Parts: sequence; structure tokens; C-alpha cells
Amino acid sequence: MAGKSGRTIDITPRKGKFFRWETGLIFIFIAVIIFGNIVSPSFNVKSVFMNMPKYLAEMFMMFAMGYILIIAEIDISVGSIVCLAATMTCFANNAGLPMAAQVIICLGVGTLCGVLNGEILTHFQELPSMIVTLGTQIIFRGIAEVSMGSGGSISLSDTKGFAALGGSIGIVPIAFILIIIAAVCFIFILSKTTTGRKMYAIGSNHTTALYSGIKVQKIRRNCYILIGAMAGVCAMFMLATSFGANTTTGQGFEMDVISMCVFGGIATTGGKGNLIGASIAGFTIVLLKIVLSLLNISGQTILVIIGILLIVSVMIPSINEQITNKKKKAALAAKA
Amino acid sequence: MEEKTSVWKRLRSSREVSLVLILVIMLIAVECIQYFGGNGHFLSPTNIGQIFRNNALTMLMALGMLCVLLTAGIDISIASTLGFCGMVVGMLQKNHICQNTLLLFLLAAVIGLGCGLLNGLIIAKCHIAPIIVSMGFMYIWRGLAYVVSGNQWASGADVAHFAEFGKDGSAGPYIVLIVAYVAFFIIMKWTRFGRRIYAVGSNSEAASVSGINVDRVLISVYMIMGFLAGLSGALSVSIYASAQPNMQYGKEMDVIAACVIGGVSMNGGRGSVVGTFLGALFYAVLAKALPLVGLDSIWQNLIKGVVVLAVVLLNTLTQRAMDRSNLERREM
Repeated sequence: MAGKSGRTIDITPRKGKFFRWETGLIFIFIAVIIFGNIVSPSFNVKSVFMNMPKYLAEMFMMFAMGYILIIAEIDISVGSIVCLAATMTCFANNAGLPMAAQVIICLGVGTLCGVLNGEILTHFQELPSMIVTLGTQIIFRGIAEVSMGSGGSISLSDTKGFAALGGSIGIVPIAFILIIIAAVCFIFILSKTTTGRKMYAIGSNHTTALYSGIKVQKIRRNCYILIGAMAGVCAMFMLATSFGANTTTGQGFEMDVISMCVFGGIATTGGKGNLIGASIAGFTIVLLKIVLSLLNISGQTILVIIGILLIVSVMIPSINEQITNKKKKAALAAKA
Repeated sequence: MEEKTSVWKRLRSSREVSLVLILVIMLIAVECIQYFGGNGHFLSPTNIGQIFRNNALTMLMALGMLCVLLTAGIDISIASTLGFCGMVVGMLQKNHICQNTLLLFLLAAVIGLGCGLLNGLIIAKCHIAPIIVSMGFMYIWRGLAYVVSGNQWASGADVAHFAEFGKDGSAGPYIVLIVAYVAFFIIMKWTRFGRRIYAVGSNSEAASVSGINVDRVLISVYMIMGFLAGLSGALSVSIYASAQPNMQYGKEMDVIAACVIGGVSMNGGRGSVVGTFLGALFYAVLAKALPLVGLDSIWQNLIKGVVVLAVVLLNTLTQRAMDRSNLERREM
């Protein structure tokens, strides 16, 4: 038994963990592939890669969101950051700036938004991150709306650079390659460096982490800056497939990204989960979206499936835990 | 003399009073700009009516959100519940299955209640973070709204009779609002159930030890939220005379923002019906006043966001100052 404030430490040795969340995710991933093969004749590697860039952009933010969730924070402003960064990049494009400058502006705007979030949250530590990012969510989209003017949309005038970004090497899309690289980097930092381990420490117990000399606020701020920058990357790849932005660009991205992380086994209460699971979960959802689009099923039906997956994926561990707790209690009672 | 200062202090520290003051100042300012600009009164009955009518949904759902936030939870599925219930109501009329206004309202509310029950059951019984569960349902109900609609939408002609209830000039939305606010004011202040919500929000362990069935309170809180969201779904169809599957997308954030402005704490246990009302009203007046003082509607979101953030930050600063002065007094 542990109270609200404390966590119990289980000292009984674990009997070979039979079921890992990641294993289950791989099974689901394979199931989706088999499902795709059965229901759609046009489902093959080539068609999957061809349809992929449209859905991949969100995944860039997923890794950084994983960090944010692991330190027990949340950032719901990322969708609006994507919108703002995409809008500003469109302006830069229409002004005739070179591609490199556009990329810098896109990433810069994202990073700046992240800095703002991070600074507010580190200076006002007593505020929940949900409220602050709710405020900045409305503000960032508001700035984008104001700068777009009454038309409510803006498009790239010179699409050459971004079309190249959305292209592919052979049949493999550039976005896919970059995501794999990003995944490796993010997973490495989280699981093999002290910074990553510090994040888990902060997420498990904020106060203990502080007293053991971890610079909690610095890491928090950096995580928010990082997710801002990744939102900039997301905006770039989104522009590479849509060539423009409007007032609804990026709406709901934050929830999509959080749901990928949660489906991948990261707990929003912090300190639990890893990015390997989240990556598999992200690719599963992307693949599912592609399969359904190949079947010409309306994009909205997938919402139901994602929702059910999400709820079931958080319910299973919790029910599992309750059953083991009951068993432990029964065993204790039997001993007595 | 001493009593006077204490009254003044109590007034100053009360969130409701400061909100009323800000509201009054804002109203006077807008009224002056309007009146001396030769555009008639801002506070005309039509304008006031519109302020309430246009924001009836936010105001109604803010009550449910108040209960949810009081238990330190959050429900972001409400806009989807609203969309689903509204879409069901719209499609029933489009296919000429049911045209009875009262029956349709009841149906929407009952569906919403069911949605809330599911939400609450999983949150309370499985001990999962409310934001995750309601996020899942946010997808599910919105998806189902699209499924129910079958890629169609109910237009003004389809819901003509139903729209009589909420059309401009009809008393319907106001009656719903007044009844809801009076009922909630009484429930939250003077009934056992209302106080239990506060108890669970302040300290759920203490509440549980003192004999409150925490799970039951949690479930009923989410049921109330679902009920109000369902009702708002029907109301939305009635007010805007149309039902689309993506209606009121993102409304949950407006509702949460209104509560936060009204002084409801997201950590649970703090907040009041009056505060919620003032917060929602503040949001509503702002939306109505901005175009009148010469700012385009595209500026609305930006200013709304700045206001939300400013209110939250100011609140923290005053709280800090108050804590510090309390500490100093104790040291003396």
C-alpha cells in the first residue's frame, strides 16, 4: 500500500517478465501489415512509402513529446507552433528568401515558441504546464491567424525546395530516413546518457531529483525548447506535402502525438515508458492510416480505431496491476 | 477601523470581486467608446442577449468542467461528445424519425450521460489519468459523429422546427442557462453531494477515510459533464440551425480557459459556480467587445490567449505576494 505521495518499491525479484509492452506492440504492428495485405490488393512496400510522407511529419514531435511526458509535463501548444512556423516559412518563401533561410526561419520560430513556453514554466514553477501551454496554444495560433489576414490561408509561391524535401531517395522518402535517424538519436539520449536518466528521475519524483542535485529547471526548459524545435521540423515536412498553411493547420496534432506516446507505453504521470515503444506505436498508427486510406475509408473513421486502441492500451496494464495486487493480498491472507 | 480593513482585505483577496471589478471597468470602457463614437449603447438588450446566446455552450459546459476540475481531473472529450450528440439529433430530424423538440433534447442529454458514464467508469475504476481516457473518447465520439453523419450534414431546413427553440429572440437558451446555473449554485453550495466533490478534490485520501465513496463521486462528476455536453450538443444544433460532424471542434479548450479565468484551480478543490460564471462571462464579453472597438475578428484568438495567460500569471504573482506578506506577519 502506498499513499498518494509515495511510491512503493517492490523488493521481490521479478520472475522473468513474460509480457513486455513493446512485444505486444510488435504483434499489433505485424497484425496491421497482415490486415493490409488481406484487405487491399495495392498494399505493398512501394505504395506504403509513397503514401507515407503525408503522415510522417507528426512523428518528429513524438520523440520530444516522449521526453516531456517522461518528466511528467505536458505540452498542448505544439499544434499551434506547427501552424505558426509553417505560416512564417510561407511568408519567407513568398519574400523570395533562399531555401536555407526558410529552413532556419521554420526551425527558429519553433524554437522561439519553445523558449517562451520553457521560460514561463521555469519562472512560474507552481503553474501546471497544461494551463500555460493552453494559453500559448491560443496565442501562437492567434499570431498565425493575424499574420495570415482575413483570407485565413497562405501558400508557398516557390515550391521547388519543399518538393525536394518531400521527395525520396530511391523509393524511401527522405522524411522516413530522417525519422529513423532522429529515433536513434532520441532513444540513445534517453536510455544511454546521464541526461536521459535524469529525465526519468525527474519524472519519478521531482523533489528527490532536485535534492539529488539534478538541475530540474534546466532540463525542463531544454525539453520545451526541444519540442518547439521539433515542431518546426514537423512544420517543414508538413509544408513539403501540403505546400501551404491555413488557420486549421496542425489542429489536434498535440493530441495525436500524445496518443502515439501513450499507446507506446509512456505514462503521462511521468518516469515510465521508453521511446522504442513509442516509435513502434507511431509507425503502427501511420501504417494503419495508410491502409485505411488505401481502402478509401473516410479519414475520420480511423479516429474511432485510434481512440479504442488508446483506451485499451492504458486499461490493460492497469487491470493487470489490479489483478496482481489482488493475488498478492490473497496470498498474504493465506499466509496469515 | 480594524473591521473595515479586514473587509477590504477579504474583498481584495476574493477572486470573484476582482473579476467583477475588471468586468465592470471593461464594460464601462467599451460602453464609452461605443456611445461617444456615435454607435449607440453597447449594453443594449440585444447585445446582452447575443453575448449570452453566442456563448451559451461555453457557459453551460463550464459548469460541468468546474465539477471535473474540482476533483483534480480534466475532460477534453466534451467537444466530441457535443458533436456526437448533436449529430445524432440532427440526423434523426433529417431522416424524419423524430421531430419532438423535448424528446430530442432528452435523447441528446441521455446519450451524453452515457458517454460521461463510460469516461468516469474507466477513470475511477482503472485509475488512469483523466486526460488520457478523455483523449481516447475525444477520438471515439468525434469519429462516431462522422460515422453517424455518413458524410452528410443537417441543414437549416432539416432542423427548422427544432431551431425554433434556440433562434435569435427565443427565450430557450436563456432558460436553460438560468436553470442550470441556479441548480448548480445550490448543489455546489448547500447539498451533501456538492461538498463531497470539494472534499474529494481537496484531498481524496482524507475524503475516502472519512467515508466518502470517492469512485462514486468521480463517476458522477464525469456523468454530469457528459450530460451537460450532450445537452449542449442539442442546444448547438438549435442555436446554429445546423449539425455538422466537426461542429464546435476545439471547444473544450475554451471551456477550460473560461474556468481557469474564473479562478478554478486545476489541482482540484478550489473554484466556485459564481467564479465560473464570471470567467465565462468575461470571455464572452471580450469576444463581443473586440469587434466593436475596432479590432478585426482575426485578432480575437490572439487577445483571448494573452488574456488567459495574463490572468494565470497575475494570479500566481498575487498568490506569491500574499504568501510572502503572511510569512512576514508571522515573523513579527
